[in-house]
Amino acid sequence: MSVAAPARAPGLVVEAAGLAFAGRAVLHALSVRIEAGRWHALLGRSGSGKSSLLRVLAGLQPLDSGRVGADDGQALPGRIALMAQDDALLPWLSARDNVALGARLRGEPRAAARGRADTLLDRVGLGERGGALPATLSGGQRQRVALARTLFEDRAVVLMDEPFSRLDAITRHELQALAHRLLARRTVLLVTHDPLEALRLADRVSVLADGAVHDTVRIDGAAPRDTRTATVLAHVDALWAALQRT
Amino acid sequence: MTVLPRALPALLVLLGAWQLIVVVASVPPWILPAPVQVVQALLEHRRTLAVDAAVTGGEIVAGLLLGTTLGIASAVLLCVVRSARRWALPLMVISQAVPVFALAPVLTLWFGYGPGAKVAMATLIIYFPVVAASVDGLRYADPGMLDLARTLGAGPRAELWHLRLPAALPSIGSGIRVAASVAPIGAVVGEWTGSSRGLGHAMLQANARLDTDLMFAALACLCAIAVALYVAVDRALDRALYWQADRLHLSSSPELLLR
Amino acid sequence: MMRSRFLPRAALCLFALAFAGQAHATDDAEPVALTVLLDWFVNPDHAPLIVAEQQGWFEQAGLEVTFVEPADPSLPPKLVAAGRADLAITYQPQLHVQADAGLPLVRIATLVATPLNALVVLADGPIRTIADLDGKRVGYSVGGFEDALLGTMLESHGLTLDAVELINVNFSLSPSLLSGQVDAVIGAFRNFELNQMDIEGRPGRAFFPEEEGVPAYDELIVVAHRDRLAEGPDAAALNAFTGVLERAAAFIVNRPEQAWKVFAASDADGLDNELNRRAWRDTVPRFALRPAALDGARYERFAGFMRARGLIDAPPALDTYARQLPGPPR
Repeated sequence: MSVAAPARAPGLVVEAAGLAFAGRAVLHALSVRIEAGRWHALLGRSGSGKSSLLRVLAGLQPLDSGRVGADDGQALPGRIALMAQDDALLPWLSARDNVALGARLRGEPRAAARGRADTLLDRVGLGERGGALPATLSGGQRQRVALARTLFEDRAVVLMDEPFSRLDAITRHELQALAHRLLARRTVLLVTHDPLEALRLADRVSVLADGAVHDTVRIDGAAPRDTRTATVLAHVDALWAALQRT
Repeated sequence: MTVLPRALPALLVLLGAWQLIVVVASVPPWILPAPVQVVQALLEHRRTLAVDAAVTGGEIVAGLLLGTTLGIASAVLLCVVRSARRWALPLMVISQAVPVFALAPVLTLWFGYGPGAKVAMATLIIYFPVVAASVDGLRYADPGMLDLARTLGAGPRAELWHLRLPAALPSIGSGIRVAASVAPIGAVVGEWTGSSRGLGHAMLQANARLDTDLMFAALACLCAIAVALYVAVDRALDRALYWQADRLHLSSSPELLLR
Repeated sequence: MMRSRFLPRAALCLFALAFAGQAHATDDAEPVALTVLLDWFVNPDHAPLIVAEQQGWFEQAGLEVTFVEPADPSLPPKLVAAGRADLAITYQPQLHVQADAGLPLVRIATLVATPLNALVVLADGPIRTIADLDGKRVGYSVGGFEDALLGTMLESHGLTLDAVELINVNFSLSPSLLSGQVDAVIGAFRNFELNQMDIEGRPGRAFFPEEEGVPAYDELIVVAHRDRLAEGPDAAALNAFTGVLERAAAFIVNRPEQAWKVFAASDADGLDNELNRRAWRDTVPRFALRPAALDGARYERFAGFMRARGLIDAPPALDTYARQLPGPPR
């Protein structure tokens, strides 16, 4: 039961991206290809440049050198949705109005937007909490609202910056499955520091260190995967080793 | 409405102590009248005091509205026009540093002896606290929220109206609370400089005539207005900031305290 | 009345007064300290005091006198009544109000023996007689009895107080008149505001209360706490004080030019200016030549006037608030 994906989600191309802040190189000639319509995980420790890359892709930060773009030749801005670690729900709006935030900001008709928002809240399992203020929702519930808001925008590419890291293990597990189901057939770039999460959800995992990609592995099998299989466990060992070398 | 019953015992204790001091220390009435005398003066002059209270109250409220509006507008200007910060901020600081007493005669000469000068003075006193609080609220907007707005395709005006201003409201609210408590000062200083009506004028007149109990009666009216104004502003702000949970007492859980 | 042209000498001294002790002379060699609270900043109205101090006559009489300028003219009498200072300069009309309110003050000397208060309009303005004030705006500074004065003056011309709009201009009497914000002012001192306006090039015309139905009164008097007048060193000091005042008044009348130089020299920066020079000339004829002398009937007449205008209730016995001291021995 996914929300219908747009016509064809593009893949992403990052070529020799360079970015420096205050003399320190954050992205160092970074090149990576994100396959269309699939989940790609970026794994790395803090400071490896993961969040910066996401912000560049989202159009929030210009590059110093190199380029990023879609592989179908069309412009990237306007086709990207961002789901951050912080749910960034506006505390003065109800869950429903938070989901429909994009419509409110762009001045689109409210009634129709609210209707769509209610449908999406239903899909993430919060159908009855449409009128609740964020302060009355738990952490997991708030991330569901954020997920619904991301779906509301109906963009082909979704960038996720450790969206589940603040949640407890059980809630995280549920939301990973939910997100994967609802975002099917979109191009998803998931930044995470948890190798298990990467292996559970993504078809490709890139290890990031010092602003560059060190390694990319392909994972077989349909996601969300059972992380107790031998294949996955072997990947886990490899990824941990790679991470510890950085 | 729950403020009054809670304040009543405290008020009675205060009045009782006052009466005791006057009796025990044999304070002459022209220095400190007993509460009983002040109440008598209040009742005796209730009609003129009511008119004076209305005049001063009007000046205070007008100053509060004008000062708040100008303050928030100035803060938005500082936020929107990047170069404004350099020249506008020093001007605003000066407006705060100049003692109102010093400007009072000049303002009275410009505006005349009607309510204009008093409103101007109240506005001046209120302006900077509101601007400072509003700028802080606007300035320290959550970057995650601003990132989200950009990815959602919000233009700068939508970002200001739907995001920055509501996010700044708690801070603006603090500024308005300060403004409400300070506005009466501006109005009264204005009246002292030149006026024909109002509680400040009544106090001045009573003082010159050694009608100290009337002076205190007028002062009591002024206090009542100031308190009523503060409570009203506080209530209104509580309602406007409905989403804010009161976390002053750390032990309570936020869900229970959310109104 | 003088305004902002003069530097106030430490109005903060008023705070220090709270801690000033009372003066007691242990023997004749020890000078008695007296704090004198002026009614306003130093100006020619205070000439006898300043001249006496400059000439050392207080010292010779065994007194050590300190002058303090307040910013609020209504405060000095209250401070003396509260025992925080020895003498205050105040106004006779105020004295009646104070006596009525029960302040234990007694007038012991007169400084200026005529009214100085005047109703002033612009000389080139439309107001030629008091009757022309019908429907006009009159500015005043809050003294407590300006409306009584004005009311009497209006009534002697067939108008009542309702015929004018009273506007409290605080102490901006001349500015408000010159800027046209009011048509007339009451509470201006005839020796000051008129000269001030002359200097500005916009001369004024004055109507005098004592010519328009108000009984004559002393504009500036010296008051002390009633308890100080009992026999003893305090009373002797006050007697000496009035003696010095008389000596100074005579000196001023006999040698006005020399006295002016003495006065102006007392404060190099502030006092020697055109306004003070002109005010000096107009004030000299008005100093009480017999400062201690009390015209009891005149005081009671004015008390009756204030009672009739509703400013006081029944006036207390004259002796309780105004006395003629015997003066120094010899």
